[in-house]
Amino acid sequence: MESAGQMLMLAALMLTAHAGSQNYLLTFPHPKFVRVGSNFTATCVIINRTEVTADDLYWNLSETILPREHYSKINNSAISVTFTVTSDKPEWLFCLCRNPSPNIVLNQGLYMHGIYLQKGYAVQQPPGNLSCVALQENTYISGTITCEWRDSGPQTEQDPIIYTLHVRDMTQGNYTTTTKTKAQVSLGTYPNHMNLEIWVEAKNSLGMVESEHLKEEANWFVKTNPPSDISVISEKSFPTSLLLNWTLPIDKSYFRLMYRIRFTTEGANTWTDVPQEDTSQDIQSFRLQNLQPGTKYISQVSCKNARRGHGRWSDWSNNATKWTPEAPPRGKPDLWMTILGSPNANGQNVQIACKDPVHSNGRITMFSLMIKAHRVTNASTQLENTTEMISRSGDITVLKQVPIPDHQSTQVFLTAINSVGQSEKAFLGVPERGKERPSVEDLRVSSQDGRLLVEWRLPRSSEVSEFVVEWVGRGQMDWQKENKSTTRTHITGPLEPFVCYRVSVYVLRSGWSSKATSVEAFLKEGAPSEAPSVSLLGVPGHDGAHLVWTQIPPERSRGFISTYTIYYRTGDATRAVTVLGNSSSYKLTSLSPDTTYDTWITASTIAGSYKGSTHSFTTQKYAPGEIEGIVVGVSLGFLFFFLMIVLLCFYKKDVIRENFWPRIPDPGESTIKNWSPDYSLKADLPRESCVSGISVLDVDVCDGRSLFDEEKAGLPLKKDKFLSEEHSSGIGGSSCMSSPRQSVSDSDEGGDMADTTASTVQYSSVVASSGYKGQTPAQPTLFSRSESTQPLLDCEENPDTSAQEGSRQSQRCSRPTGNNLSPQGAALREELQPLDFCSLPEDAENNTPAEHQSAASASSYMPQLGGYRPQ
Amino acid sequence: MNGHVKSMHFGQFMEPVTTLLSLLLLMAVDSTRIVAASRNQQCGNSLQQTLKLTRLIQKESVDLIKTYKASQGEMSELLCKVSVPIVPDPKISGMDTSEKIVSIYTHLQAFLPHLKRVYEQQTDLQLPTSPVLDGLTRVSAHSRNLAALINIFYQSLFPNVPIQEPAGGPTALPPPQNVFQQKVYGCVVLKTYKELLANVSKELRTLKNNKCKRI
Repeated sequence: MESAGQMLMLAALMLTAHAGSQNYLLTFPHPKFVRVGSNFTATCVIINRTEVTADDLYWNLSETILPREHYSKINNSAISVTFTVTSDKPEWLFCLCRNPSPNIVLNQGLYMHGIYLQKGYAVQQPPGNLSCVALQENTYISGTITCEWRDSGPQTEQDPIIYTLHVRDMTQGNYTTTTKTKAQVSLGTYPNHMNLEIWVEAKNSLGMVESEHLKEEANWFVKTNPPSDISVISEKSFPTSLLLNWTLPIDKSYFRLMYRIRFTTEGANTWTDVPQEDTSQDIQSFRLQNLQPGTKYISQVSCKNARRGHGRWSDWSNNATKWTPEAPPRGKPDLWMTILGSPNANGQNVQIACKDPVHSNGRITMFSLMIKAHRVTNASTQLENTTEMISRSGDITVLKQVPIPDHQSTQVFLTAINSVGQSEKAFLGVPERGKERPSVEDLRVSSQDGRLLVEWRLPRSSEVSEFVVEWVGRGQMDWQKENKSTTRTHITGPLEPFVCYRVSVYVLRSGWSSKATSVEAFLKEGAPSEAPSVSLLGVPGHDGAHLVWTQIPPERSRGFISTYTIYYRTGDATRAVTVLGNSSSYKLTSLSPDTTYDTWITASTIAGSYKGSTHSFTTQKYAPGEIEGIVVGVSLGFLFFFLMIVLLCFYKKDVIRENFWPRIPDPGESTIKNWSPDYSLKADLPRESCVSGISVLDVDVCDGRSLFDEEKAGLPLKKDKFLSEEHSSGIGGSSCMSSPRQSVSDSDEGGDMADTTASTVQYSSVVASSGYKGQTPAQPTLFSRSESTQPLLDCEENPDTSAQEGSRQSQRCSRPTGNNLSPQGAALREELQPLDFCSLPEDAENNTPAEHQSAASASSYMPQLGGYRPQ
Repeated sequence: MNGHVKSMHFGQFMEPVTTLLSLLLLMAVDSTRIVAASRNQQCGNSLQQTLKLTRLIQKESVDLIKTYKASQGEMSELLCKVSVPIVPDPKISGMDTSEKIVSIYTHLQAFLPHLKRVYEQQTDLQLPTSPVLDGLTRVSAHSRNLAALINIFYQSLFPNVPIQEPAGGPTALPPPQNVFQQKVYGCVVLKTYKELLANVSKELRTLKNNKCKRI
């Protein structure tokens, strides 16, 4: 039957589609909304086309091809698909053709057809938790009812749930629609005392449900204004009572009201409620009782329909504030004294403070203080009786600072006074210093649940009246007293986190205080807010540095410093050392010499760390004493070397002497003096091959450059030398023209040595003849050699004067022989004169003729030359 | 000794019987009270509701008269002392409960057109925000509700007898009036209506005391 119906529908659709559409494909159905989660079946039909079959068709949902297993072929020209609707977004379902024939490709738009699927949810549940309220307006109830309810489940934008709020009474009804879960219905005049029926319909395209019907009397929904004109009356004869009066917010003809009343003292955080049974009657006043005298009370009143279950509580009224009348203080003031500073030689200063009695019953205007000091030594008693009101900080009143000398016990008596009367007398005794009784043992303070828990062990002596737990932080002192059986308590006062509190526990024995047992504690520890600045103790060493820092005081550390971590860095290498929190110095070791280090310190608590500022220092290049060691070592080495030299010189003095002071033949011991006058010069003539007739002592022959150097050294000396050597060359062993040059070369070591050397090497004389053989061809060359080892000149013994007196020296040195110039010598001199221009051709150019003349005229070697006796 | 023993046995037997009888008697009395309370609850709820609404309208009518007089200008006190014959009589008629309830219902229905006419007249005389108009609106609305409650109460008492609508067709209203006449008419209507409400309240209290207890 189903398939037959489908076929009929197909036929009808084909007919209608063929008439009104150009597409060759047709899809159906086209529902307005599809329920999310349901199975949807769509059919696609081919219209009047044979080149396309149902096998060529496929379905595309949101650009995704649906799998073929979801397809169902109806016949050769129709195909259907069934799938589950999952998404709640609207989307297109297309029937497409995949036949690649050109006609289809070119007319692709005709071979497709789509269904626009708009999604929706069925209304799953009725609106729940329906609640309505009608508010008071002026002196009557507003005709507008406001209702709220819980939604009916998911919905889509395309098919939202429309809520209709219905309100109906016996004579009329009204409704309003909304898509939200809150609405208002206006009834014009509120139907007081009539029965109302209220309900909500939730409806969309896929269904409709109704909420439960509220059927109640109209006043069941009323919320009135709070009572107005609250007045509080305080009566002196009733200090523990206040009378509240108010005005009804609405007339009794609407309904009777019941009330709720609450009150609190000023500054308190909690309200005290008056029991409902006391205020459920139709009242317009109420007397608050059992209040504290002299206390400021704040009261509020609220009301509702007195009928059980009807109406809603109104808002609370405005505050009504009033002081209760004062009464005499009840109980004793809480008296305590704390030690200021450290005890000194004169005793100690204490500060007497107190708190008002627990039941002060009014404002304490004055304290009556009596101090009784008892000196043990002379058993005298001093009384100081004052009535004063000093300063009040919170609930603590600082009364007086009194010095308590040593060897004196003190008793303090205190009463609190208000405008009506005075309290009982409180007593506190301070025993003589050094004679206090022992306090508690094993005091421990820990943070627990945001409070400080103080635990201790009872002292061995059991005479305990009560304990005093005192805490001081940020300069503020507070205390609380515990009974004698207490061994653990929480500090009740307001404590701040990250503040160091010094908690002390005292034992009171019949009012006399004991020694204190104290510990420091934090309610909550935090990371330090600062870290110490590290500095160097002294000068950094060669491989170490001594760092010091100042410990952070507890009031600024925000917690107990557990560790300090010292960092020191050079280049990219950072090293760290951790020390305990009670350390204040550390010596870094194994540092590199001559290296700059950056160092800083971090202070750590259990909650975190804080990095301090960076300090830089540079280690020394040498260790202490290293420089001294080097100096001593070098000195010792030098000394050793010197000693070695000395020893060497001592043991090798002969060698040195031979090398540095060669033996010079003494002319005095020369055998030349034994030469025979008959000695045939001709026979001794040098061979022709020795053209120059020179015995070469140095290869630096005729070196004009050397001459220039010598000129730079001392021209006057040179002149003399030249002259001298020119003449002495006749004495020297070299007969070459360079023999005078030899003499000059010997004097290269300096001006001082010049004469010495010249004098020492002038052990021979050369008679130059062959060089000028052409000029004097007839005269044979004479050569004679001296074998003397004696210095020719004694000027070496006085070298300082030799330079200046070179010329004279030469003269002097040559003087012994100059005077004996023989005629042959003179003739020889004439022959030798041209030699002056032989070795110094350039010198000749530099020297003026006068100098030549002078040199020539100043030559004093003529006598020496005269030593060569004519042959 | 034996007699004493017998007596003890008898006493031991009689004790639980007495307790049982007492318990049964208590349960019977209690069930009777529950039934009576249930009936009284139904009667009381309906009548109580009617009575409360009557008091509310009565109070509102008192306030409305004050507001009305304050809004009519000079000689407002004299306005209400004039007699207007067309205004219905506030007296409740009838001998038995049914007749009285019907009379109440008829009077309430009879006053509704008058209240509507006063509202129309005062609409021309007062500003739209005038409290007189608000009061008249509330009194009229509550009066309709009161009539409906009376009807329901009557149906609860006499379920098989439908309440009779006012005989003689629609209520006769005054012809067109001048302003003074309108003021006088309005005040007389409100004053008479207040008297009616007082009478209704009185009758309902009587009904509450008599009818509901008997049931």
